[in-house]
Amino acid sequence: MASEPTDGGTASDRPTLTMSISQLRGRIFELISAGATIFGITVVMGMLVYVARDALRLGAADPGWYLVFFWTLVVPSLGMAGYFAVRDRAAGSVAYAATGIPVIGILVAGGLVIVFTELIDPQEWLALVFALVVAGAIISAHQRYRPQATFERLLVLFLTPILTLYGIPALSVDRAITTPLTGTELFTLSFSTPALLPSVRELLFVLPILPAGWILLLGTVTAPLAYGFGRLIAARRDDERGRLELVAVAVTVVAIAANIGPLVGLSAEGTILVTTALLVPTLTYLEGVVRRREGFAGLAFPVVLVGGTFVGAVLATSLGFASPDPWLDWSFLTSAPSRTPEDAGMYPPLVGSILIVIVIAMSAFPVGVGAAIYLEEYAPDSGRLGRFVDFLEVNIGNLAGVPSIVYGLLGLALFVNGVGLRDGIVIVAGLTIGLLILPIVIISSQEAIKAVPDSRREASYGMGATRWQTIRHVVLPEAFPGILTGTILAMGRAIGETAPLLMIGVADSVRSVPDGFFDIAAAMPAQIFSWKSELAPEFRTGVMAAGVITLLVVLLVMNGTAIVLRNKYQRE
Amino acid sequence: MSQPTTDSATEETAESDDRLIETEVSVSETVTQPAGASTIIDVGDLSVYYHDDQALRSVSMEIPERQVTALIGPSGCGKSTFLRCLNRMNDLIDAARVDGTVELLGQNVYDDDVDPVALRRRIGMVFQEPNPFPKSIYDNVAYGLRVQGKADDIDLDAEVERALRSAALWDEVKDQLDKSGLELSGGQQQRLCIARAIAPDPEVILMDEPASALDPVATSKIEDLIDDLAEEYTVIIVTHNMQQAARISDKTAVFLTGGELVEFDDTQTIFENPADPRVEDYITGKFG
Ligand SMILES: Nc1ncnc2c1ncn2[C@@H]1O[C@H](COP(=O)(O)OP(=O)(O)OP(=O)(O)O)[C@@H](O)[C@H]1O
Ligand SMILES: [Mg+2]
Repeated sequence: MASEPTDGGTASDRPTLTMSISQLRGRIFELISAGATIFGITVVMGMLVYVARDALRLGAADPGWYLVFFWTLVVPSLGMAGYFAVRDRAAGSVAYAATGIPVIGILVAGGLVIVFTELIDPQEWLALVFALVVAGAIISAHQRYRPQATFERLLVLFLTPILTLYGIPALSVDRAITTPLTGTELFTLSFSTPALLPSVRELLFVLPILPAGWILLLGTVTAPLAYGFGRLIAARRDDERGRLELVAVAVTVVAIAANIGPLVGLSAEGTILVTTALLVPTLTYLEGVVRRREGFAGLAFPVVLVGGTFVGAVLATSLGFASPDPWLDWSFLTSAPSRTPEDAGMYPPLVGSILIVIVIAMSAFPVGVGAAIYLEEYAPDSGRLGRFVDFLEVNIGNLAGVPSIVYGLLGLALFVNGVGLRDGIVIVAGLTIGLLILPIVIISSQEAIKAVPDSRREASYGMGATRWQTIRHVVLPEAFPGILTGTILAMGRAIGETAPLLMIGVADSVRSVPDGFFDIAAAMPAQIFSWKSELAPEFRTGVMAAGVITLLVVLLVMNGTAIVLRNKYQRE
Repeated sequence: MSQPTTDSATEETAESDDRLIETEVSVSETVTQPAGASTIIDVGDLSVYYHDDQALRSVSMEIPERQVTALIGPSGCGKSTFLRCLNRMNDLIDAARVDGTVELLGQNVYDDDVDPVALRRRIGMVFQEPNPFPKSIYDNVAYGLRVQGKADDIDLDAEVERALRSAALWDEVKDQLDKSGLELSGGQQQRLCIARAIAPDPEVILMDEPASALDPVATSKIEDLIDDLAEEYTVIIVTHNMQQAARISDKTAVFLTGGELVEFDDTQTIFENPADPRVEDYITGKFG
């Protein structure tokens, strides 16, 4: 930017090359934008630190404790980070990935453990997987041998999963048919049919013995997951190796772990899930590091973190320093709400929230994406119907802004008073919040679909593709990452929603874990809200803060998984 | 985007519609025109309106089979519009309204019982801008065969190779068929689009300025390709390049602003001895 004043001797008005053109306004704008960004980030970080301080009760520790960990953990890790930043960028990125991947793996495994202990036992899971695999095989066999029969394919596509999952169950009807207005009884319809066809799911339970739960999990979770990640490895390598190797290593190590786990008091199933989620992605990543022969030094970073924590803990205990006594600890995560702050936990709301999120995802995602596809690809853009569609779209936008408490009311009216479901149960909570985020899912999916250039659609139609084929093979694959992003954001809003939960009567301080989708729900935000109104100050600061941190971590895990999924699709 | 289409309907039309009506071209017997070339597409009084603006004015033209027909004319005169009428791509534009007839081997493609999807399976198209799918090169070329339900009965690998060879792209991409089509250069992308269009073996190929974004080497590759294609296919090509039209085409149609077809004749006649003075002006560059 160095500028020299031009001497006025030249007659022409043309700027000389060395003359500086004023960029003052641009600079000021840049500074203001940077300032706003920094301000926003600092405020959010400050809030997080504030909450974390309460949740972890850092003040309870001796200064000596801090000193020990400062020297065993903070100094070595910061030192390494500094070294990486200055000297060895490649090792730096290896270091952070090698630390982050296992952490995310463990958090995801935590969610899986909850699903497998509270929702579905390994035998049920095997039966489900088996039934779906059979259905998939039948569908693809049909497609292979009768590729022309389009209508038949639709039937097969629709009926096979139902038949494999449910079979043709026994049916019995017994109801009086009355005239609609006067209610006079016309005749009673009453019949029952025997169960005609057992489902594949039931067939499995006919077997006299099924292998133990952990072996089933090994076969249905570890091996397929390892195979999937192994394909990633194989795709990256030139020699296509890695699939079977990863499966073999993962299955062996996990099996050994599953036999050691129970000796130290862990459940075999839990050990399987945690080691699998820890091992498989980490090994996949390590293979890449070893093959690229770059940034090996970074692998020391997680070792230093774990080692430093361990050494610090041993030192602090042997020197007799008091450690902080966090509210957010293992027992907080695994026990039920309680009257005494020390015993209070958030396990039931944690499980409840996960169940609710499953219902939300399964209701809002298909409906929202379906509506977006209809509005973008099928609905007419002109004529009277086109104007009606415009009107609809404007109102979907309005619905996205309606306060959430109104949705609570709507859910109450629709599902409790209308359909007659019990209030406060998981499915009502999930469907209500599903309604709440539906407009957001629709709008963001529409945006993603709009972003697919028309030239791609033209190319597809020009090749003689039908509209469905164009949507299926061109529009959806390209719009999918965008749809996923929108849905992630919507789910993030959904999991923290409190007001609708209060409206539909989700109880706080539920002591038992919801036992399926039709049981009384507990939910994290409702629980946090109720802690906030407790009398004891420990509840209002510490326990509540611990709850908030748990909620945030669950949110981050959900977003993280979705972002990984999205990136994977974007690359393809 | 308004035509209702179903998979089953298209498959029926695609098979039941293979009759051939031999029509002698009666215009002229010059050297460039092989004797006995029959008309494959007969356009009668074709007018197109976008909302209330007329983009084509009552165009009539008989396009000979297995020859190259070039469409030339100033920008905005309706060449793309004309091309898009032939395979009913204008159906996708809500504002467009088409009058008149386009007969493919005697059958008016604008009849109510014609399924535009079946029509497009017989008339392939290469667009003005290269528009490969964000899929692998292989999947791009295989796309037409797959959506047309032909992929199961044939050796897909061999068909993909044949199409890429015909489009003069095979040698450049044979080791990287898994690479995304978007990672190719502009000229390679356009040849990929040509390979994609010829893979399902259509009868007619429409090309909208396929070489407008290409350097001279790639252009001449595409010109050679068009020459070869004309042995098997009917090619209708829009171009802004007079020399190109003169080099590669057997017949040339000259449109002028307002969507009027001024002259349609053998290429040699158009370039050496046009009947209409406006055509001469246009070709020699006196016409804006
Ligand atoms: N989708 C559309 N909506 C409205 N008008 C259109 C549309 N497409 C084309 N037109 C109009 O139709 C006329 C002919 O357009 P067309 O694209 O056929 O020209 P062209 O001869 O292909 O020009 P170029 O050589 O520049 O590609 C133009 O006046 C244009 O404004
Ligand atoms: Mg054009």
